[in-house]
Amino acid sequence: MSAYDVSLLSVIGLNVMLAVSLNMISGFCGQVSLGHGAFYGAGAYAAALTMIASASVALSLFMGTIVGALLGLVVGFASLRVRSDFLAVTTIGVNFLFTGFVRKQSWLGGEMGISGIPGSGFSSAGNMVMILIFAALTIAVSFYISRSWMGFAFRAVSQDEDAAATLGINSGAYKLAAFGIGTALAGLAGGLYAFFTQFITADTFDFILSVMLMAMVVIGGIGSTAGVVVAAVALTLLPEAIRFVNDYRLLVFGGLLVLVIRIAPGGLADLARRLLMREAKA
Amino acid sequence: MTAILQLDDVAVRFGGVSAVDGVSVSIAAGEFIGLIGPNGAGKTTLIRLVAGIITPDQGRIVIDQKDVTRNSTAARVRKGLALTHQLVRPFREMTVLDNVALAAGYRRTSSPLRAALFVEREPEYERAAALIVRVGLTGTERRLAGSLPLGQMKRLEMARALALDPRVVLFDEPLAGLNRAEATRQIETIAAVHAQGITVVLVEHNLEEVLRSCKRLIVLNNGRVIGDGAPQSVIADAAVQEAYVGSGMNAHAVH
Amino acid sequence: MYYIDLGVTGLSFGCMYAMMAVGLTLVYGLLRILHVAHAAVFALGAYATVLVANASGSVGLGFLAAVAVTPLFGMAVYRLLYEPLLNYRADVPMIASVGLLVLMQDAFRIAFGEQGVTFRNNRFAFTTFDLAGVRVNAVQIAIMACAVVVFIGLHLFTTRTRVGIGWRATVSRPKIATSFGVDVVKVRYMNFAIGSALAALAGGLVGLLDNLVDPMIGYVVSYKALAIIVLGGLGSVRGTLIASLALGMVESYGTIFMGQWLNRDAIAFLALIALLMIRPQGFTGTRTV
Repeated sequence: MSAYDVSLLSVIGLNVMLAVSLNMISGFCGQVSLGHGAFYGAGAYAAALTMIASASVALSLFMGTIVGALLGLVVGFASLRVRSDFLAVTTIGVNFLFTGFVRKQSWLGGEMGISGIPGSGFSSAGNMVMILIFAALTIAVSFYISRSWMGFAFRAVSQDEDAAATLGINSGAYKLAAFGIGTALAGLAGGLYAFFTQFITADTFDFILSVMLMAMVVIGGIGSTAGVVVAAVALTLLPEAIRFVNDYRLLVFGGLLVLVIRIAPGGLADLARRLLMREAKA
Repeated sequence: MTAILQLDDVAVRFGGVSAVDGVSVSIAAGEFIGLIGPNGAGKTTLIRLVAGIITPDQGRIVIDQKDVTRNSTAARVRKGLALTHQLVRPFREMTVLDNVALAAGYRRTSSPLRAALFVEREPEYERAAALIVRVGLTGTERRLAGSLPLGQMKRLEMARALALDPRVVLFDEPLAGLNRAEATRQIETIAAVHAQGITVVLVEHNLEEVLRSCKRLIVLNNGRVIGDGAPQSVIADAAVQEAYVGSGMNAHAVH
Repeated sequence: MYYIDLGVTGLSFGCMYAMMAVGLTLVYGLLRILHVAHAAVFALGAYATVLVANASGSVGLGFLAAVAVTPLFGMAVYRLLYEPLLNYRADVPMIASVGLLVLMQDAFRIAFGEQGVTFRNNRFAFTTFDLAGVRVNAVQIAIMACAVVVFIGLHLFTTRTRVGIGWRATVSRPKIATSFGVDVVKVRYMNFAIGSALAALAGGLVGLLDNLVDPMIGYVVSYKALAIIVLGGLGSVRGTLIASLALGMVESYGTIFMGQWLNRDAIAFLALIALLMIRPQGFTGTRTV
């Protein structure tokens, strides 16, 4: 396996973690979050600093997860107060606040970022395996949640919070749970990223990344773990496989996002489901 | 007498107007209450106060001896209150079965942590299926709730309310928009629910049905209780007649 | 003098924000959609201005072209993107709008280069006046003058003309407006047309001021505009005007105090988030949430 392949698979693993975790928040629970990049970034920075201070991989990943989750809970509290489109704007704001803040703090590396993050002790292939294991775990957690009563309640909250209340479901608590879990996983991915590149800058975690992650969720099919995984893999590979797409990445992502919402709002998962149903009838 | 639902001098004002103006009501377990009043009397506001959608400016609301005045709707549901909406609100993109099963699973959804621990849904699906038959929705289990006609949606609301094992159910205009046959069917189901020992509070415009089924009638006007007692005597009361005739209601039903 | 300089900058930015945000607030007032792609309209206007100006040698012609082309684009966005999505929950058209913005910005980058396009003959950006010791740029004056004209014009339009009154009625009370014989669909198109033309004007002026139109030109302004319309009251033109000027000033002076914690762009978002937490429904006359 070449160094390129290892790197590619690592990025795929990270994107899968990010897209699937975003799907828990925005897909399962219906809370639009266009700031997922900020939680990824918060985790990366937390892990990087912890690693520099402690040289413990486990502790660093743990800190990445926790910091991601804490920031996520703060945003989660915001979701309790504002309706969906304002929430979307708030999450955009969180993204800009994160990058704006980090760029100004010298202890966070400022504009230059943090370089020379100590390695995890694993080879690149080892890092890749670690990432893929966590990605698989994320997928497993996602499937489990969607099958559990938590997933059932999430669906209700996503569709109609007030009606959910009349069934005894505390929508606020569930929204916080969704944000907490989804952002914890994003933070974890951030920690893994820090070990993968050993160099992080605020630019990586910008609003554009958040949009691309949302595109993966929308295209894959909001609420469908399998669909989102497929979309994440495909949209990561596409720029690599097709030169054109790589140069015009945003054009393609933006265009796909618009097209999918307009033509097939249910995403790939919905299309697949309908195709399968049609075949069953025939 | 232990009250299952009690309102103590409850009042709320909107922009200078008292929508509910010092209402005190005590409902015992097992009663069948009819709540009526002309348009604008404050019935809707009162329901929303009991449901927890709005908080009163003064007074207390007590469910099964527990003060729920500051509690959310979800918390009140867990203390034994169930409600059906006037404007039905099923989860439109879920099947009928799922809608009822989720209600039946109220023990599982009490907190996210708890909900995360449970996956098994069979028992709830079974209960849901039984309730669906009971309210007369057999055959619709797999249909999306949003595709049902109004009459069936109202029965779905009822099934969901029952699935919560409530102590008291607040029916908010369950007959609105139904034809005669559907309305009769609905009232029969409500009476059957009451026969089980569940306290029923029925808010309705359809006076005929209310008078026939309830055992105690409460009349609201201008945010105040102007009548509370046996249906026939309350209806005959001059103040009540005045309120209805004065607001142009059909006098035929009031007799 | 420095403070007054800051004040002038703040004011001119404020006027520019106002012209940009007015279109955004009207779309929201009318359709309850956050038209994030409005920034693409802004950028389109800027590009149209600079390209036509360079090709024809006249900056005026550039502005004319911008104001002619962008309304068509704006109306197309409504027809093709928003109209079919009106029945979905509010965040769906918004996400689509975000997708469109990202797409357009990249399209601009691909078509006209990452470095952007400069004006070939821009006397204005470099013409400064000395007013009582304060240096003011010709373009800044143009921006402020434009804004004044535009807003007075809008005011007269919506209070004195039949069409304008119908427009105002539709924004505040769509259902009643129909019963008064107002063609709601025509009003929507007009809304997008006018809002887009104003954004184009703002875009062209900013391009002139910086003497550069690059793919990122709409980027940050768009999100600030979001902050502004929430602060000013969704659907309220007057509120947007006040909020725009306020933001322009706060930013200018704010960088003195907050400059070490946050960069300029983040300040607007901080204000936005703080306000949404206090008043989640935004600042409107009516409670729509």
